[in-house]
Amino acid sequence: MNDTFFSIVNSGLLYIMVGIVIAFVVFLSLVFAKKAWKRAIELGYTKDQLLTVIKSTSIATIVPSLAIVIGLFALAPVLGNPWPWLRLSVLGSVTYELMAADMAASSMGVPLTDLPTVGIDAFVNIMFVMTVGISAGLFVLLFFGEKIQKGIGSMGKNKQSFGIVALECFMIGLLATFLPAFFTKGIVSVLTFFTSTVITISMGLIVLKYKISWLKDFILAFALIGGMASSVLWTGLLG
Amino acid sequence: MKSREKFSKEMNNLGRLGVLAMIILLFAVPTIFGLYHNAFPTFGEFIKAASGLLVLFVPIAISEVFIYTPIFGSATYITFITGNIMNLKVPIAQNAQELMNTTKGTEESDVITTLAISVSAIVTITLIALGVLLLVPLEPIMTSSAVSTASAYVLPALFGALVVGLLRSTGEIRVKGKVKAGIVPFILLFLVNIFVMNTYDYSGILLIPMIPLTVFFAWILFKKKQITIEIIEREVSK
Repeated sequence: MNDTFFSIVNSGLLYIMVGIVIAFVVFLSLVFAKKAWKRAIELGYTKDQLLTVIKSTSIATIVPSLAIVIGLFALAPVLGNPWPWLRLSVLGSVTYELMAADMAASSMGVPLTDLPTVGIDAFVNIMFVMTVGISAGLFVLLFFGEKIQKGIGSMGKNKQSFGIVALECFMIGLLATFLPAFFTKGIVSVLTFFTSTVITISMGLIVLKYKISWLKDFILAFALIGGMASSVLWTGLLG
Repeated sequence: MKSREKFSKEMNNLGRLGVLAMIILLFAVPTIFGLYHNAFPTFGEFIKAASGLLVLFVPIAISEVFIYTPIFGSATYITFITGNIMNLKVPIAQNAQELMNTTKGTEESDVITTLAISVSAIVTITLIALGVLLLVPLEPIMTSSAVSTASAYVLPALFGALVVGLLRSTGEIRVKGKVKAGIVPFILLFLVNIFVMNTYDYSGILLIPMIPLTVFFAWILFKKKQITIEIIEREVSK
């Protein structure tokens, strides 16, 4: 059963369909980027400034993306290559996809690792479950996206109103939700957090003191690499 | 130059068209694959497999639109289509807004965020495609204990890097004292984490009550003038 299962879930048909969807998302991203670039130039930004955003974004994206690629290595042995490739490239998140596949398989009474022995029906069912579970947000955006956008736009219009405060406080709410969990999850989590903070502050100070403005573009990337690398050290020492 | 309204309308139309096409494409894959292999699940089989997941994730997916739209503005559509919001797109948006010193809710912030999110999505998709191509040679490295450990701590590392920027405002508006709005929600959840359970795995669903709670405290503090708005009279970074 295993060989047949993997020849089907790694078939050319699935690769082609997944390739088409991913190509569409790349095309859409390029269209959005082009429109944003054009509008930014109209608003008075220089090409150099926009290239700085692109450079800094690209570098800062690499490290968290590697964590997503690791998700591929976790899913591919049970779901084949193309389906995890699609699920990790669009919508969702690496944690959602891993959890969703596991929960769907468990609900069918099959451990995810045994899926290749069960058959292709269960695999197709998991494909549907993972897709439906993550699509709800898209339907909300489709029908209410413009209204929500207008509401947010009006919040930011009056610079002395509470709307401005509320916009800023969404990020504070994110911090208030995530930080208690990090701080109580274990010493490695706390130390990783503070290592990353210390790198960010130190590099910020270096940029200010020595006026090395180009270094500013790399702060997030360095802090991420340093923070994640330190987690290996902290785990070795204390974990 | 076209107006902000015209640009916003254009982005909304493009975004909604993209979302509609995405929904059709996403459902087409399992539908065509299932029909081709004559392995379509019955409705009962689907519900059995989906019920637990849908109860948990549909409310999260819906509330995420309301939670993240203020952060991403016009970039919300492309952000949701490409996913990995908390673990990638939030820091990328914040980083770009800080770099260009934009004010949240302004067109400048929207445009810069859209550019950053689109570029970030292309980089991620390229790296995952490389991962698929190099699945076999990369496996020993990507499944090594050091890489697994490091990737398990990506969120603390991201938040550690972002906390400095998140606590101050960018652009021409300073919201002074905004951190106070998060104190009570932080303490409440901290106590839950100490005395009840670690909420790390439930952070997504916890955002649903925590964001409104933070905004509620911000409103009280704003009324009591503990949170104030200061407009900086200088050019933003353009």
